[in-house]
Amino acid sequence: MNDNIAINLDNVSKRFKRGHKLLLKEALLDFFRPTRQEDFWALKNISFKVKKGEALGIIGTNGSGKSTVLKLIAGVLSPTKGTISVNGRIGPLIELGAGFHPELTGRENIYLNGTILGLSIKEINEKFNAIVNFSGLDDFIDTPVKHYSSGMYMRLGFSIAVHVEPDILLVDEILAVGDAGFQKKCLEKMKEFHDKGVTIIIISHSADLIKSFCKKAILINHGKIVVIDSVEKVINKYSKLIDG
Amino acid sequence: MILEKYKIFKYKDLFWQLTLRDIRAKYKQSILGYSWVILVPLINLTVLSIVFTFVFKVPTGPVPYPVYLFTALVPWLFMSNAIVAATGSVLANASLVTKIYLPREILPLSAIASKLVDLFLTALILGFFMLVYGVPFHATILFVPFILLTQLMLITGVSFILSASNVFYRDIEHAIGVILGVWMYLTPVVYSPDLIPANLKIFFYLNPMSGIIDAYRATILYGVIPIWPAFLYSCLFSITIFIVGLIYFRKNSKYFAEVI
Repeated sequence: MNDNIAINLDNVSKRFKRGHKLLLKEALLDFFRPTRQEDFWALKNISFKVKKGEALGIIGTNGSGKSTVLKLIAGVLSPTKGTISVNGRIGPLIELGAGFHPELTGRENIYLNGTILGLSIKEINEKFNAIVNFSGLDDFIDTPVKHYSSGMYMRLGFSIAVHVEPDILLVDEILAVGDAGFQKKCLEKMKEFHDKGVTIIIISHSADLIKSFCKKAILINHGKIVVIDSVEKVINKYSKLIDG
Repeated sequence: MILEKYKIFKYKDLFWQLTLRDIRAKYKQSILGYSWVILVPLINLTVLSIVFTFVFKVPTGPVPYPVYLFTALVPWLFMSNAIVAATGSVLANASLVTKIYLPREILPLSAIASKLVDLFLTALILGFFMLVYGVPFHATILFVPFILLTQLMLITGVSFILSASNVFYRDIEHAIGVILGVWMYLTPVVYSPDLIPANLKIFFYLNPMSGIIDAYRATILYGVIPIWPAFLYSCLFSITIFIVGLIYFRKNSKYFAEVI
């Protein structure tokens, strides 16, 4: 793969089985059915490349398949057809505090969540104070996180996520959740990453965040790429799509 | 090969953190805390000892029945707890599985590893009982790590299959308690294999745990090296199920995030 390319999706398709069989009985019945008609193609023939240091926006309505793209890049899902290559450490800002254990303290959860995001214990030891300071939770770091407010919970999750120092940052609509101050902090940190040359992919169904960050964007609808172009043109097209 | 090694090294810290989490979180919000790990086997031991000493007599040679029983109960309870924890491990970590990439194998593996602490603690109690009852320690005890390794392969293989299947068919989580109960009575945990009629012994030893439990008793209590045909079969069975389980788990783990 070209060294300049951070992410390359080549003709990727993803099929889901609608209403997956959770009972043995259904699975057995299904075995005897001649055709299975429950397949659902969430993505069809998606191809695009993202250069290193580029910020790409992926926009689309709910159910368009944009989250599936992000999960495929993150490696959570595997493609039914096509290939995906990713060059660099991925930092997911997809769900803050994924894997936090409510009974464990903030300190214990920093180690747990940090290793989940791909840091070694040594790296966490080095960054521990920075993580705590950035989160502003010095006084509560030895309190079980089940006693945290949802805001505190997110601040800690975000603080760990941004200290992973990723090469590629995947951003879902997490920014919609925090208060104004928290959102500002998130945006500043993302700007900082962008300036440092981190590749950023943002998915959203709102144009504002993508407009403020990306020069290039992709519009996805019903699992297909409608257009890849400059962010203005893509958002124009998106507005027409929603209105029409 | 080098890549494989690198991967294991890379996820070593995550493995320890997940194991530690399971150990730390288990007994939070309980008054007796970690002493439950020892209390449960002791209660089991007491009840079973009373029943099988006074009601049904089990021939155990020079070894007192409670020690005879506990030698089997310790590894059995370890296996039972480990399999139950591992079976639910993928679903219990649903938020991770659907959000972040990590080698899924690490989930059942860390669930099993967290139970090794319990095994170690209950094994200390067993040693204490042997002292109290005056059961001599034999050099053959050096075989025990090898038997444990065999048992770990069996546990891991079974856990791979059950934890992956449980994602698709959650019936398994409900059935597992009953299955383990039946399995225990098919294994010479509370009784002695001498009680099995000779013409049924061949079927009895098809159960890989029979050979393993026999081997623990032979090496720890009687100073005899494992009974080879039975234990060798258990070894081969365990290695096979480990490989089969790993392949099955890898094949199915691709779909975990879609189903959960």
